[in-house]
Amino acid sequence: MITAPATKSSSGTLYSGPARPVRRRRRRIPWGVYIALVPTLGLLGFFSYYPDINGLVHSLTNWEPGFSSPFVGLANYRAMWHDSLWWQSFGHIGIIFLVAITAMWAIPLGAAELVITLSNPRWRFIFRALLIAPLAFSPVIQVLTWEFIYDPNVGVLNHFLGSIGLSGLEKNWLGDPNTALFALIFINFPWVASLPFLIFGAGLQNIPQEIFDAAAIDGAGRFRRFLVIDLPLLMRQIKLLFFLAIVFVLQYGFAAYITTQGGPNNATTVPVLRMLGVAFDADEWGYAAALSTTLLVIMIVMSGLTLLVGRRRTLREAR
Amino acid sequence: MALQPVTHPAGGLSVPAVGARHTKVRGRVVTRRRLVDLTAAAILSCLAFVGIFPYLYMLETALKSNSQFNSNEATPTWPLHFSNFVTAWGDVAPYLLASVIVAACTMIGCLALGSITGFVLARYHFPGRNLFFGLIALLLMVPNIASLIPLFVLMRDLHLLNTYPDLIIPQLTTQTVFAVVLMKTYIEQLPNELFDAAHIDGASSARTYWSITLPLARPIIGTVALFSVISVWSEYFWPELTIVTNSLRTVPVGVQFFQGELTTAYGPLFAGYIIASVPLLVLFVVLAKNFLAGIQGGLAVDR
Repeated sequence: MITAPATKSSSGTLYSGPARPVRRRRRRIPWGVYIALVPTLGLLGFFSYYPDINGLVHSLTNWEPGFSSPFVGLANYRAMWHDSLWWQSFGHIGIIFLVAITAMWAIPLGAAELVITLSNPRWRFIFRALLIAPLAFSPVIQVLTWEFIYDPNVGVLNHFLGSIGLSGLEKNWLGDPNTALFALIFINFPWVASLPFLIFGAGLQNIPQEIFDAAAIDGAGRFRRFLVIDLPLLMRQIKLLFFLAIVFVLQYGFAAYITTQGGPNNATTVPVLRMLGVAFDADEWGYAAALSTTLLVIMIVMSGLTLLVGRRRTLREAR
Repeated sequence: MALQPVTHPAGGLSVPAVGARHTKVRGRVVTRRRLVDLTAAAILSCLAFVGIFPYLYMLETALKSNSQFNSNEATPTWPLHFSNFVTAWGDVAPYLLASVIVAACTMIGCLALGSITGFVLARYHFPGRNLFFGLIALLLMVPNIASLIPLFVLMRDLHLLNTYPDLIIPQLTTQTVFAVVLMKTYIEQLPNELFDAAHIDGASSARTYWSITLPLARPIIGTVALFSVISVWSEYFWPELTIVTNSLRTVPVGVQFFQGELTTAYGPLFAGYIIASVPLLVLFVVLAKNFLAGIQGGLAVDR
């Protein structure tokens, strides 16, 4: 018996009329579709599911690729529990996370509000394009450009400080343990060419103009409108971005890998770098698999929560 | 449904209402409106300038010789040295070639797999349909970095490290997942009448796929193609850890390697960054709408 999954997923469209269930009951199973699905499922099964599950299994072993891998139970996870560098790296992404959900939201949200405040649609379009333009550069080139800005000898930042008479503040920004983490965070400042800007912007654009007009007639000023109307209506975007920020910091790593290699003195180690170091430098693949599996599970849980947040909104809209 | 809200540019539709309201109350309100506009534009200009500044600086430095850079770092100097681009081209061209090959294979593969799978999942009813889609969509939650360690071991066992398949396969799996989800969601929203009419006219499944679904899915095809290229131009760790042959390096690891070679020749270095960025820049300008649709669609898994 074939159930009716399609009715659920396409109930939003106009065309799923009452004629469908009757016809579907008579329809035979179209066996050909399984053949059509084989290439995709085969590819994903072998190159996505198999490695992930293999990693999970081998996180319980002393993995030596190419040789026998003795089973060690939860020893790798116990080692992780006592790995101070691993927990220190979570502290670092904790700091990055705090900036990611405050300053990295506030500036893009402010920019998105200013863009919709402009009365001329052409100017809105131009500013939106200029603000997201840096996204068109490869992230590695963005990081390398910023590395150059921070350069202690020829970098723009030190030159700038020197030219306004603050040469006392000149630093080796990425080489000093006290500033390295914040230098990394400030890459791509003011963070407007980012997902939060796009999501806030789309959210604000979808608020019906009538609501703004009604607020204006009731005498609400621009700032009051922001607090009473825009912010509550953006709540769903904020929830979504909250979970995306968690997944973002868990993946954080390539900028640190390129510029600081986790140093100086482990001041910028993040979980991804610790995991890669354990695998490729220390050659402890079983332990690396345990760290990798831990990250994978946290990310799946967080993404699942993101989906739930999205789903709840759909239900509310349907009512 | 999830795809349409952001695609109309700049939300221009709602604007006349505001204008009309303000012209009615003349004088004070109109000037206030202007003041607000000017303030907003001024702040936005500052933000945009700070954001774009590093890239303007990159362009400026790319046109300087080393002695010009050493004597005057901050402002543009004449003559402009376009020869830096010629010097950089020789170094960057292999990375561009490798990236274009990887992106093209990824694009073709994920469009073929994504459109067939999306079509089947959206248009046929069969046992396991939701399970298969769930299994594919679940992978959307697994970032590449979380599978890197076990995938490295698998590729090593298959003796594929440091080859084109090694570069293409991880891109292909990620992009296929993305393509299936976008395609399925989109094809589901196409009106049933079209498919019923084709069925009545006696069109086979293959014909319905090729002559009806594919032409209608063109906007999504653009989105998927753009994201394949963005992904190749962004992926850093995988090529960094698995590729040692210089001609196989893609742009992200290529430019970093190139930076190590040219530590003091800033002009050619930045010229190289610009050359390496051009394909992505061009695609962004051409397919900007598809980019926004992709962001929105990728977040809206099965709404």
